[in-house]
Amino acid sequence: MRPENYEAQRQPPSHEYELNIGPNHPGIEGNYAFKLRLHGDTVLEGKADAGYLHRGFEKLMEGRLWIQNLAITPRICVPDPVPMEVSYVLAVEELCGLEVPERAQWLRVLQLELSRIAAHLFTFGGHAATTGMYSTMFWGMADRDLVLDLFEELTGGRVYHIYNIPGGVRRDIPDGFLDRVKRTLDYLESRLPDYDNLLFTNQVFVQRAKGVGTMSREQALEWGVTGPNLRATGLKFDVRRDDPYLVYEDLEFEIPSEEAGDAWARTLVRRKELVESIRIARQVVAALPKIRGTIRCPIPNPLAWSVPAGSAYTRVESSKGELAWYVVSNGGERPYRTHVRGPSQMHAVQVLEKLSVGARLEDIAQTMFSLDACPPEVDR
Amino acid sequence: MSKDLSTWLDTLLNELQGIEVRRRSSRRIRVDVQPDALPALLELLRGRASYVHLSAISCVDWIDEGEFELVYHVWSYEIGSLVSAHTRIARDPGVYISVYDIYTPAAFFERDIHEMFGVFFEGSPDMSRFILTEWDGPPPMRKDFDSEAWVNAHFDFQDYQPDWLQEIEAKGGGVAVRPDEQRFSRRDLDAS
Repeated sequence: MRPENYEAQRQPPSHEYELNIGPNHPGIEGNYAFKLRLHGDTVLEGKADAGYLHRGFEKLMEGRLWIQNLAITPRICVPDPVPMEVSYVLAVEELCGLEVPERAQWLRVLQLELSRIAAHLFTFGGHAATTGMYSTMFWGMADRDLVLDLFEELTGGRVYHIYNIPGGVRRDIPDGFLDRVKRTLDYLESRLPDYDNLLFTNQVFVQRAKGVGTMSREQALEWGVTGPNLRATGLKFDVRRDDPYLVYEDLEFEIPSEEAGDAWARTLVRRKELVESIRIARQVVAALPKIRGTIRCPIPNPLAWSVPAGSAYTRVESSKGELAWYVVSNGGERPYRTHVRGPSQMHAVQVLEKLSVGARLEDIAQTMFSLDACPPEVDR
Repeated sequence: MSKDLSTWLDTLLNELQGIEVRRRSSRRIRVDVQPDALPALLELLRGRASYVHLSAISCVDWIDEGEFELVYHVWSYEIGSLVSAHTRIARDPGVYISVYDIYTPAAFFERDIHEMFGVFFEGSPDMSRFILTEWDGPPPMRKDFDSEAWVNAHFDFQDYQPDWLQEIEAKGGGVAVRPDEQRFSRRDLDAS
């Protein structure tokens, strides 16, 4: 067996040197490596290297029952697991033709938006840390924990909820839960001015983030960029509005965008999305008491459940961009094939490689965090 | 604007020979196309009907039919619909043409499919290993790849019986699944 990643090294010119960021490095997100070739502080070439976190989920899911796979889906992206669950469940529902009760759809939206808030707070912290500002990370982690408390109360799990099942959700909200959601949302909103002072208007951060990792709208479209990274180049596209699912058509929210397309613009878009997510979550909190009825439709015995043959491609907007599952059934008790399309498969690999050329070494970590790369989505 | 583009799309899909179009909903269109016509279809979809976003390329191994199914999901920001173009290629030799010149993101998906299914895409910029750097087995996502058999043939198992567990078991306790009940046990392999 060969040593890991062995290949004959071509000899670079004497002024060039190589530097590996990762797989274990504070400047990298997750178990992922980014291999650089540099001249002085300037990056000549960057190569993404995945595989340190490969768990073979897509193969694993082919051997497990439709219902068992629910436990796998959220584990694909740790910071923002809910869109993974919802997207897979939507695909199974499309294959089976299940009608999801309205109350369950609203509950899913509430969960999705809370997850987006938690993921963005996480990202701000990581991004700030790459510029040497660790306080934002501590604040972000502490505030994210309040959202995780809500998840724990609603679903029993803090990070992996496995709350969505085909046909609806597992359980209804506990007594007084909506009040606690409201209080948490109020608190998070009251914290925003503090975050502005600490990070978003902090000149240390602004000066570092402006002009870093800039891409134009044409480049973003060419490279398949989605989500906040695309909106930071001025294109107001959001799957929630333009390819709506669940009850997003009934909700009022803006699609924030920026023009600059750099790390700073991407952060600002996420900052504005936080406000919009709080706004959506408030609408759900106000609407839920009026929406009565069941939280799931009847499904067959899940341990002997043959899903009709066919294929479904379901997209949702995760905190990182367009997330989709392609699920194929051949009429059996297990999926014939599942394929996950994570937004990071674009911006953590090709886009990061392209943006790093000509960048300075100290901006590489910041570029990666400002793109909100999630390596587990690449590795699966 | 988008109305004009949808007219282009309808014209395009009606006039092309040898494709089968099914509208599954207002924003989902399924197209079945022969492998030799697929690049031309994508070129037209992108150039004439604004389908600029390649969302994903999925591969399905239909082993009983001896075919790989490749599905190209493309989205139009202006029309607001997703076209899934399905095509089937022979499983052996499993060679197809790259659409990298039409869609840049295809490089990632083609590299991934090459790694996981062994389909070679001619003209793709990089067909080197990405995730399975040290892997020297067959492409693992193929249906004829048996994970369990591979693991049994390539890895040694060790029964988990640390001292602390033996002490607990001596007092009548233990873990929920006892080592001798484990599904993969070295003992079973030795016995067989």
